[in-house]
Amino acid sequence: MQFDPPITKDSGTSFKNSPVQTPVPASSPRDFFRQNSESMDSLIRKTFQKAQSQIPSPSVCLIAVGGYGRGELGPHSDIDLLLLYAASKKESLPPLVEKILYPLWDLGLDVSCSSRSIHECLKLAQSDLHIKTSLIDGRYLDGEYEFFRNLYRLFTKNVLHQKVKKLAESLADDLRLRYRKYEDPAYALEPNIKEGEGGLRDFQAGRWIIRAKYKTDRWDSILFPDHSRLLEKSVEFLWTVRNQLHLLSGRRQDDLTFEFQEKIAPILGFRPGPEGVEEMMRQYHLSTQRISNFAQDILDRVLHDPSPAKKALLFLQRRKIDDHFAIADGEIHLLDPVAFKRDPTQLMSLLAHCQKYQAKMDFRVEEAVMETLPFVDDLFRSSQKVNLAFFGILKKGKGVAPLLKKMHDLGLLSRYIPEFSEIAGRIHYDLYHVHPVDIHALLAVEELEKLKNGSYENEVPLLTSLAREVEQPEILLFATLLHDIGKSTNRDHSLAGAEMVKRIGARMGLSQEESERAAFLVSQHLLMVTTALRRDLNDEQVIFRFANEIRNLNQLKMLYLLTFADIKAVGGEAWTSWKNILLMDLFLKTSRFFERNTRAEPLVKGMDTMKQLQGSLSSEILSEYADCLPDRYLSCYSPEDIAHHIELARSLEKESLLVEWEIEKASQAKVTVCTRDRYGLFSRITGSMFLNRLNILEAQIHTWGNGVALDTFWVEDSTGEIERRLLQLRKDLKEILSGKIPIKDLLLKRKESNGIKQKIIPKVAREVKINNQDSDFFTIVEVTGENRLGILYEMTEALTDFGCDIHFARISTLGNRIVDVFYIQDEWGEKIAERNKVDQLRRTVSLRLVSGEHKES
Amino acid sequence: MKKIEAIIKPFKLDEVKNALTKIGVQGMTVTEVKGFGRQKGHTEVYRGAEYKIDFLPKVKMELITSEEMLTQVVETIERAAKTGKIGDGKIFISPVDEVIRIRTGERGKDAI
Repeated sequence: MQFDPPITKDSGTSFKNSPVQTPVPASSPRDFFRQNSESMDSLIRKTFQKAQSQIPSPSVCLIAVGGYGRGELGPHSDIDLLLLYAASKKESLPPLVEKILYPLWDLGLDVSCSSRSIHECLKLAQSDLHIKTSLIDGRYLDGEYEFFRNLYRLFTKNVLHQKVKKLAESLADDLRLRYRKYEDPAYALEPNIKEGEGGLRDFQAGRWIIRAKYKTDRWDSILFPDHSRLLEKSVEFLWTVRNQLHLLSGRRQDDLTFEFQEKIAPILGFRPGPEGVEEMMRQYHLSTQRISNFAQDILDRVLHDPSPAKKALLFLQRRKIDDHFAIADGEIHLLDPVAFKRDPTQLMSLLAHCQKYQAKMDFRVEEAVMETLPFVDDLFRSSQKVNLAFFGILKKGKGVAPLLKKMHDLGLLSRYIPEFSEIAGRIHYDLYHVHPVDIHALLAVEELEKLKNGSYENEVPLLTSLAREVEQPEILLFATLLHDIGKSTNRDHSLAGAEMVKRIGARMGLSQEESERAAFLVSQHLLMVTTALRRDLNDEQVIFRFANEIRNLNQLKMLYLLTFADIKAVGGEAWTSWKNILLMDLFLKTSRFFERNTRAEPLVKGMDTMKQLQGSLSSEILSEYADCLPDRYLSCYSPEDIAHHIELARSLEKESLLVEWEIEKASQAKVTVCTRDRYGLFSRITGSMFLNRLNILEAQIHTWGNGVALDTFWVEDSTGEIERRLLQLRKDLKEILSGKIPIKDLLLKRKESNGIKQKIIPKVAREVKINNQDSDFFTIVEVTGENRLGILYEMTEALTDFGCDIHFARISTLGNRIVDVFYIQDEWGEKIAERNKVDQLRRTVSLRLVSGEHKES
Repeated sequence: MKKIEAIIKPFKLDEVKNALTKIGVQGMTVTEVKGFGRQKGHTEVYRGAEYKIDFLPKVKMELITSEEMLTQVVETIERAAKTGKIGDGKIFISPVDEVIRIRTGERGKDAI
């Protein structure tokens, strides 16, 4: 009996499903493929020969097709076989196929085998893309070699080299379908190494076209050596990663999930931890970008290759643009093949032409561009002609995004702005940022352009109109393109980026003002979104501070647009109408602030005051109070006063009320009151002053963010007893504020004993103005009238009785005329906006302005 | 077990989340929502064009807690989310019949 050894996986295939896994040498996936294919070949040959010996079978030929045919067999790749038979002997095939497949399946191999006659193969290959492409990679394994030879002679002649354009169209369709399937942001984070954009399938597509069109297996022979070397490296990297992925997962897994990114990075020699993963994924994205460009490029060449007749026609239609370029059928052609080498600045002219004529580059032009890249040097980068042309393109704003994308794909952008190459392919190891930084930047530019074109008109009408009216759009685009440039450093990327942009701007010939504006946008590109989402937009102080950072309306518009583009380009669901409502609220409030720009000055002064305080207060105290001191307050006092006020506020922990004064003249004093703010406080203080016959000449009342009320009054006493009256004031105030005696009772008593008649003096016109336009946060009440003792008390009591909270007030006396300004809110912290409420308020205050007078006289 | 749903002002999210983490709350679900209550939407005007805001942006937090923790959790949210102004939001509390951790199959309190 013949010795019949069982078919086993021999040494070469021992990695599969075995506990001891042969490590794949990371450096050479080709060696691995060769080894793997060779051992698979011998296993399959053995199986085939055994099957043939077991049953009487017709003459057949066994062919390896698909990836296995190419000899690029990953650890768990599927194995596609083709059994070729003579047309007449079909019926005896199934038992043979079973005898081949079953033992292989029993070994756990993923094998499929189709059996066809030569005729069937050719017929199917003409109609079925998949069969056609898998045949391209066919490789003879065993059996009748003559069958194989015949098939490939006919296939090459009648199928492969025919209708190449149709093949390209089908592959382009397939590519589009795959891209659409994997365009979901989740796949950008966890890409599919085979089917995704720039994956191994793209590389195959390019190779198949080269086989069909240029009749060569040497895909590198039609590319520039530099280009093909990079492509080779890219593909090898993907292979290496894919092999690891198969080994680690123990199956044919092509999704490079986070789990495996973390496992594979250290195996391939990247640093441990998230940095290593980011570096690996950077290389991954750079590789897929190259592969994707290669596939698109090759497909384009075939798809746009006109027939000889059309070529002649196009030649006649060709319009000359200048000495170097011509245009035909929407493509720019190069008239002078060495134009770029002689004068590299022509590269930028080319881009300007592309924009002007809305034309693409002919693929030969693209090749010429790539060939010229080494000539893009410092001289080029600082050439006025080049930079003017570049900013001219940005300024025109039409078709900028695809043009920048093209520049990037050709490698020109990274040569022109070398800093940009540092962010190429760089990723964030998180779930929010979907795209590599360079792609994100290009997408952001695209989003701005879409916005301007009206793509989001219904969704964000305000942003759309801003995109159309914004000044210096080229600076906005420039800043958008470079907003994340600082991500190549380890520092705060906004600040680092701003410094880089200033340098880049200077190099590219921007004026200092333009460079600084771009740098400003980069340094603050996160400020608007963090303010909108994390700060109380109903807090005036928040808007003041934000406006102070932004400085003017045009910068605000630019920042809003950049914020939109940045978030939108993050991908997925990052941009929501929810976010936009908050951003819009911030935009509108800040823009109104700029429109009433008169108030910007004291605020700037307020910021200076804060800086000066650094000398007189410890940094600890300063940081505690920095955020709660309103700018309006800061602008009213000297740093010495403020330092003193902070001291007072700090002693509030021990005492609930502090009243201090400085007597300035015999009859006048400046009184400072510091206590916790409460409802009706101002009214009670003015009441107590009235009680003690202190006439209020001027007052400043402020409420700090931490609930401290800090009020200053300039008072006058006509009886010559100011010291005594102030002492009494302090005592009264303490009792009134602690609630021991209601102020109304005291005032009633006081009035009864008041027999002094007021002097008759010229009447002053009375007026109560209620203003809702000048502040987004407060209703401003302006009262003008005749001064008299206690009038301020009357006014503040009227406001308090009406349910208003007085946040800020400025009281002044001009002769016998008072001008009092109150910033008020209702009990909900809102403005008093309803028409009837406003009228009611005006009536109430006016009435007190008059009635008090009657009581006195 | 109780389910707490809190509708709060967006800028209060971090503060409320930190306060809850401090008292040992381990998980919550946060959603960006829009709505209106007493604080109505409004129309903004910019350069003559009107931009209508019907619904105001809020954050909805959902968390499940044991009966013992309920008071503390609710008080914490109340304290941290309060500005005292209109539109501070609301807290809803409702009973929960069962909680199941899908991975382990744990039920009840263990699964919270």
